Amino acid sequence: MRAVENALGITIPDNARLVRNLISGIQYVQDHTIHFYHLHGLDWVDITGALKADPAKTSQLAQSISDWHNSSTVYFKGVQDKLKSFVQSGQLGLFANGYWGHPAYKLPPEADLMAVAHYLEALDWQREVIRIHAILGSKNPHAQTYLVGGMALAINPNEESTFNVDGLASLIKYADIAKEFVEKVYVPDLLAIASFYKEWTELGAGVGNYLSYGEFPNDSVSNTENLFLPRGIIFNKDLTKVYPVDPSKITEYVTHSWYEYKEGNNAAKHPWEGITNYKYTGPKPPYQFLDTNQKYSWVKSPRYEDRVMEVGPLARMLVAYAKGHPQVKAAVDGALKKLGVGPEALFSTLGRTAARGIEALVVVQMLPVWIGQLAANIKKGDYRVFDGAKWDPSSWPKEAKGFGLFEAPRGALGHWVRIKGGAIENYQCVVPSTWNASPRDAKGQRGPYEQALLGTPVAEPDKPLEILRTVHSFDPCLACAVHVTDLTTNKSIKVKAV
Amino acid sequence: MPKIAIDPITRIEGHLRIEAQVDGGKVQDAWASGTMFRGIELILKNRDPRDAWAFAQRI
Repeated sequence: MRAVENALGITIPDNARLVRNLISGIQYVQDHTIHFYHLHGLDWVDITGALKADPAKTSQLAQSISDWHNSSTVYFKGVQDKLKSFVQSGQLGLFANGYWGHPAYKLPPEADLMAVAHYLEALDWQREVIRIHAILGSKNPHAQTYLVGGMALAINPNEESTFNVDGLASLIKYADIAKEFVEKVYVPDLLAIASFYKEWTELGAGVGNYLSYGEFPNDSVSNTENLFLPRGIIFNKDLTKVYPVDPSKITEYVTHSWYEYKEGNNAAKHPWEGITNYKYTGPKPPYQFLDTNQKYSWVKSPRYEDRVMEVGPLARMLVAYAKGHPQVKAAVDGALKKLGVGPEALFSTLGRTAARGIEALVVVQMLPVWIGQLAANIKKGDYRVFDGAKWDPSSWPKEAKGFGLFEAPRGALGHWVRIKGGAIENYQCVVPSTWNASPRDAKGQRGPYEQALLGTPVAEPDKPLEILRTVHSFDPCLACAVHVTDLTTNKSIKVKAV
Repeated sequence: MPKIAIDPITRIEGHLRIEAQVDGGKVQDAWASGTMFRGIELILKNRDPRDAWAFAQRI
């Protein structure tokens, strides 16, 4: 959206900014919570421990860290019984694959049970709160109301069929549900679990360079100096300096990626000039190992000034913290104090995981602010949500180029577009996991995952739980599944890259 | 040095492979490989720029 609007010189109305902030904001909160409980949690929580827990002691533990209502002995006994019945029936389902009983699990059984209970609660909760997408975007995932120039969301407080006062009331309701869970469950659980794994503040640091494009415009999208979470770069873990972001310094290598540049394997290309010439040269599956001296990944290697950069919640929180952002500073300092560690602990696997929870807290607290601004605009009689002045291609220049920088929940995301004769001539996406999962570049510099894994302990090489901890701490999202449908036969075609 | 490969890494979105050299109980070197081609860039060529968001919104 931003890339095309930037290319065509379009400014969206304030209501569209707020609707987009709300859609992204609840996406952050939902994604981060799902990541913590469902994607990453079982790297720290042992299901078999939960079976051994004393429900009464679990209740005491839960009540000591939060006043969340589900905290009685009876409640935890019920969760444990449910878990036992899964195990006894041999249907572990969600929990079927895990390195249960691994020596790197350190939680007391009661903390395991508490976390498992909240794992299950979070499944229901995330379904509820993402209804904000249904209200503003028609559905989730893949919101349908985006529109170049604004949002396709008719606003009129008095009409039944538009976004109206009932819509506003629903937003407030779901934002409240979201906020209560983050404050009373996610953040207390995060800190409780982290307190048993403090050695992970010294592991998994990785490259130590952090890039944030910044997100949530406070006014115009083009005013990149006034974003709720600021834009900036930190080099070499130095929190005393935040450097500005110059998008012209971003390039991508394919030295170790299954693509070809006509300029050769050591060339780096800016995304506006970027190309996607795929050429698989790896071994024919099944294979034992890749030849990592050659090309070994479908992920390109983005670099900033030829430096490897980590992106994601940790990068955003570090940039905001270093800039003295009041809410982020308070939340980070609060968490560090509770854990009894200093800011240097943030440069780690656990720091990455903690930053995600801190960010969920800071962002969920902004949802009511944006809803309030939207309500105030509507109250003033400002229902504008779309600017159609440049909708018609006849109003466009013959050639245009633009870029849009955005912070997705997983990190810095850039789209670069060139438009010619009303059609897309070239489009390049440099997505968060391209930065983080990148393979080595022409200089042989490791990507962020690769660098972060150095020194990771591995107690049992056939059960590499510790490697999963660090890789999961980045919240990987590789190549979202692409299904191509042939409209003539209506058959789904599986694209197999062999 | 013993080398291990984890493929696929589960509980993520998409397809990721990690190869790691492990010695003395620690990772000595590591390689990350995305094992699936994306290609949204190619799908977007020659399309109406007003439709780009619908293809690219989740990547």
